[in-house]
Amino acid sequence: MLFIEIASKDKIGEAERTLQELTAAARVARETIDVTIPGRRPRPGHLHPITLMRQRIEDIFVSLGYLVEDDREIETDFYNFDALNIPEGHPARDPQDTFYTTEGFALRSQTSTVQIHAMQRRGAPMRMIAPGRVFRRDTPDPTHNPMFFQVEGLCVDRGITMAHLKGTLAEFVHRLFGPETKTRFRPSYFPFTEPSAEVDYSCFNCGGSGCRICKQSGWIELGGSGMVHPNVLRAANVDPEQFTGFAFGLGIDRTCARIYQLDDIRLLFENDVRFLEQFR
Amino acid sequence: MFISYNWLRELTGTKLEPPEIRDRLTNVGLAVDAVEARADDFVLDVEVPSNRGDCLSHVGIARELSVIDKSKVQSPKSEVPNTKDKTTDFAAVEIRDPDLCPRYAARIVRGVKIAPSPEWLVKKLEAIGQRPINNVADITNYVLHELGQPLHAFDLAKLAENRIVVRRARQGETIKTLDGVDRKLDREVLVIADADKAVAVAGVMGGEESEISNSTVDVLIESAYFDPSSVRRTARMLGLHTEASHRFERGTDPEGVLAAQERCVALISEMAGGVVTQDALDVYPKPFESKSVSLRASRVETITSLSVPESEMKRILDALGFVLRADELSVLTFTVPSWRHDVSIEEDLVEEVARHTGYDNIGTGLPPATLAGEYHFTEKRKRALRQALSACGFDEAISLSFIESTDAFELIPQLANHPSVKLTNPIIEEASSMRQTLLPGLLNSIRHNLNQGIRDVCLFETGRVFAAANKGELPREREAIALVATGGAREAGRAQPVRELDFLDLKGAAEAAGDAINLSELRYEAATVKHLRAGQSAKIFSDSTQVGTIGRLSDTIAGSYKFRQPVFVAELDLTAQLEMPERPVLYSPLPRFPSIVRDVSLLVDRTVSVANLMGAAQAEKPAYFIGATFVGTYEGEGIPDDKRSVTLRFEYRADDRTLRDEEVDQVHWPLVQSLQKTFSAEIR
Repeated sequence: MLFIEIASKDKIGEAERTLQELTAAARVARETIDVTIPGRRPRPGHLHPITLMRQRIEDIFVSLGYLVEDDREIETDFYNFDALNIPEGHPARDPQDTFYTTEGFALRSQTSTVQIHAMQRRGAPMRMIAPGRVFRRDTPDPTHNPMFFQVEGLCVDRGITMAHLKGTLAEFVHRLFGPETKTRFRPSYFPFTEPSAEVDYSCFNCGGSGCRICKQSGWIELGGSGMVHPNVLRAANVDPEQFTGFAFGLGIDRTCARIYQLDDIRLLFENDVRFLEQFR
Repeated sequence: MFISYNWLRELTGTKLEPPEIRDRLTNVGLAVDAVEARADDFVLDVEVPSNRGDCLSHVGIARELSVIDKSKVQSPKSEVPNTKDKTTDFAAVEIRDPDLCPRYAARIVRGVKIAPSPEWLVKKLEAIGQRPINNVADITNYVLHELGQPLHAFDLAKLAENRIVVRRARQGETIKTLDGVDRKLDREVLVIADADKAVAVAGVMGGEESEISNSTVDVLIESAYFDPSSVRRTARMLGLHTEASHRFERGTDPEGVLAAQERCVALISEMAGGVVTQDALDVYPKPFESKSVSLRASRVETITSLSVPESEMKRILDALGFVLRADELSVLTFTVPSWRHDVSIEEDLVEEVARHTGYDNIGTGLPPATLAGEYHFTEKRKRALRQALSACGFDEAISLSFIESTDAFELIPQLANHPSVKLTNPIIEEASSMRQTLLPGLLNSIRHNLNQGIRDVCLFETGRVFAAANKGELPREREAIALVATGGAREAGRAQPVRELDFLDLKGAAEAAGDAINLSELRYEAATVKHLRAGQSAKIFSDSTQVGTIGRLSDTIAGSYKFRQPVFVAELDLTAQLEMPERPVLYSPLPRFPSIVRDVSLLVDRTVSVANLMGAAQAEKPAYFIGATFVGTYEGEGIPDDKRSVTLRFEYRADDRTLRDEEVDQVHWPLVQSLQKTFSAEIR
C-alpha cells in the first residue's frame, strides 16, 4: 500500500514534470526567433570616397613626420603662380585653364599654394602635405571635373636629395597599395621643381604584368614630383644654398577612380545615394 | 610626335633596336607611348615635355639618343648647287615689331617646277603621319620634322611689290588661311604682310592667296624666330593648332634659322629645280644672346645623391650641345646652346646630368626622422563630426564649389550682407558664382536622388563658402557644414522606413555633430529665416553668437526644386566652432544618496516652449533641486487647440541624507505653483 502510495506519488511528480517540460517546450517553440532577420539599428551613413582616401593619405604622411596644412582656395597670382615659378605668359595662367574672379583672383589650380604659405609661416626645415580642393577649367567628362582634390607634399631640410624623394614615395605606395608595389621615376617637367620626375607605381591589380586597369602597361601614374626649384624656396624666404627639398603632388580623385575602378569621375560630385553607399 | 626609326638611324647610325630606344628615351624624359611597325620602318610616338621644344624634330631626338648610345649626330648636308643674284634684288623685308619677331630671313628660288614629291620623300612624310602635297610644300615640312624649324613658302608673284612686312594685324583685318577659313584678326596678332595686306598669320598658318600652286614659278622661303607667347596667344585665339605654332610656342632655335633655310632651298633646287639666290635676306634686329651657366660638380650629388664623375658630366653636356667655357676647381661653366630655352640655372644642368645618368640609379631612403608629424588642428574634430553624422544615417556629399547665383537663402552670419564672388570665366555657364551656402548643392543632390526614385535621403557636406570682401581684398572664406534630410527614417537591412523624418531628426543629427566636436551646448531659438517655412524654423546660437539656421525648407524653394515631400535643412558656420577650445572634462563625485523625482504635466499655451519652462525652473532653483528633464508633450484629444501638455521630470537630492517625501513636497509644489503662475498653466 505504501509502495503504491509512493509509486503514485512518483507518478504524479513525473506527470507534473512532464507537463512542465511540455509547457516549457511549447513556450520555447512559441518564442523561437528567426535569428536571420537583420539586426535592429539605424541605417548607417557613409563617408565620401574622397574623404576616405584623403584620410588614408593623411594617416600615412603624419606617421612619416609630416604636418597637414591647409589654406585659402581663392588666391592671389603671387601664391598661385609667381611663387611657384610659373612665369607671366605661361599657359597655366591663361583664363582658358584657370578660373578667375571678377576681382582678378585665381581659384587655386594646385595646393602648392599652401606650401608657400606654410614655408613662410614656419620656415625650414619642414615637412608638410596639403590636401585640398583645386580648380581647373576642364569641361566635365568621364575623366575630368572642373574641380578636384589633390595632395601636395613638401620636405625641406639640410641634405635632402632625390633619393629621399624616391624613398618617401616608395614607402607611401607600399602603405597605400601593399608592400609589393614598385615605383618608377621618369624625368619630366614642372615649373616648380628641378630636376622633375613623373612617378608611376606598379599596378595594384595585376602587379605589373598588364591588365585593363593599367591599360596593359603594368604601371599607373601617381603624379608629379621633383626637387623644389630654388626660385620657389626663395619666394618662401628659404635659402637654397642651405636647404634642399623635394615636392610631389597627386590627385585624390584620380587615385580613388583607379582603386575603386570608377569609369566616370563625374559620379564623385553627383551624390547619388546608391553610389555613396558603396564606400566605407 | 611621330619619329621614324629609319630616319633616326640615318642621323645617328644607332644600333639600338626600336623597343630599346623606346625604354631609353622614356628614361631620359621623352616618354615613348607606342612603337608601331609601318612598312619597312618603325614609328615611335614620343611625348615631348612642354619645355623641350628642341626635341620636336628628328635631330632633336637624335641628339638625346646620341648621349644615350654615345653615337654622333650627322648634320644633314645642304649644299646649294645653283646660286645666282642677291635676295634683295627680288624682295624686301621689314620687321615692324622686333619684340614679336626678333629674326626674319627670306631667300628666293626662281624657276621651280611644282610637281609631286619623289617617292622617298613621300614615304618619309607618310611614315610620320604627314600628308604629301607638292614638292616645295613637302620639303618645308620635311625640314621642319628634320630640324624643328618651321618654314613657309610664298609664291613670290603673289606678294604685292615683292615685299614682306612683319607687323601687327590691323584691328578687324581679315585673312583667308590655307585651310580655307576666313579669319578675323586683332592688334595682338602678328602677321606677315606684303605691301597691301596680310599674307600669313605669323608662326601659325599661311594665307591661301599666296600659297604655292602648280603655276608658281618663284618661291620665297621664310625662316624666322617668333616670340613664343605671341604665337601661343594667336593660335589659341584662332583655335588653330599647327605643326608650326606647336614649335614656335615652345621656342625654336633663333640661331638655326639660316641653316634650316639653306637646307630647304638646297632640297628645293635639287628636286624642283630653280636657281637660288646667293644669300639670305636676314633681318635680325634683336640678336640672340647666349647664356652661360656654371655647375659646381658637387651640386649633382647634393641634389640627386648620384655620384657622377666630372668627365661623365662633361660628356653628357657636351653631347647635348653645351660648350664648356671654363673648368676651375670643379666649377664647370657652359654656354647654353641656342635651342635650349629651358636651361638657365645650375639646377637645370643638374637635371641634364641626372636624367642621362638615370633616375633608376638614384638610391632610395627616407629622410632622417627629425620632425614630428601632426594633423591639421581641425582634423580630429572633423573626423569625429563625420563619424557622428554617418552614425546618424547621413551620407557625406561633395558638391561643386560654383553655383547659380541665388539670394533665396539666408547665409551664415559671417557671410550675410556680402555680395557673392563671381567668376569671369565659368565653365558651366549658369554656375558662375562661388557658393555662399552649401544648401543649393545639397538640394540639387536631393533632386537628383528623387529623380532616380530614391525618396529617403540624408546628406551632409562640409566645405568652403565664399563672399566678396572689400574691393581689392581677397574674398572671405569660411568652412561651413550643412545637413539635409527628407523621406523616411531608415533602418539597416529593412526595406521600409520606420517612420517619416521630421524636424527633430535633423536637430538630433546637428546635436550629435555638436557633441562629437565637444562644443558647449548650442541653443535653438524659433525665428524667421528666409528659406525656411514659418513656424518650423530656428536660428542656432553658440552662447550669444548666431552660428546657423535649421528648419523645414520653405514651400517656395521646395516648389522650385519640385519637391513634393518635406525637406529639412540646416547650415552652420564651422570655422568658429572648430577654433573653439574643447570643453575640459571634469569629474564630479557620484551621489551618495538617492534622488527623488516628481513628474508634472503642465497644460500651457502653445507659445510656451519647453526651454521657457525648464529655464524658469532652473532660475527658481529651490533647495535640493538638481534639475529638470524633458519627458514628453501631448496635444490632440481633450486638449484645446491653442494648448498643449508638457511633461517634465524634476529631480531632488540632498548630499548628506536620503530625502523624505514630505521634504521634497515642501519645495516641489511651490516651484510648480510658481510655474503655473508664470505661464498661466494648469496641472493635468
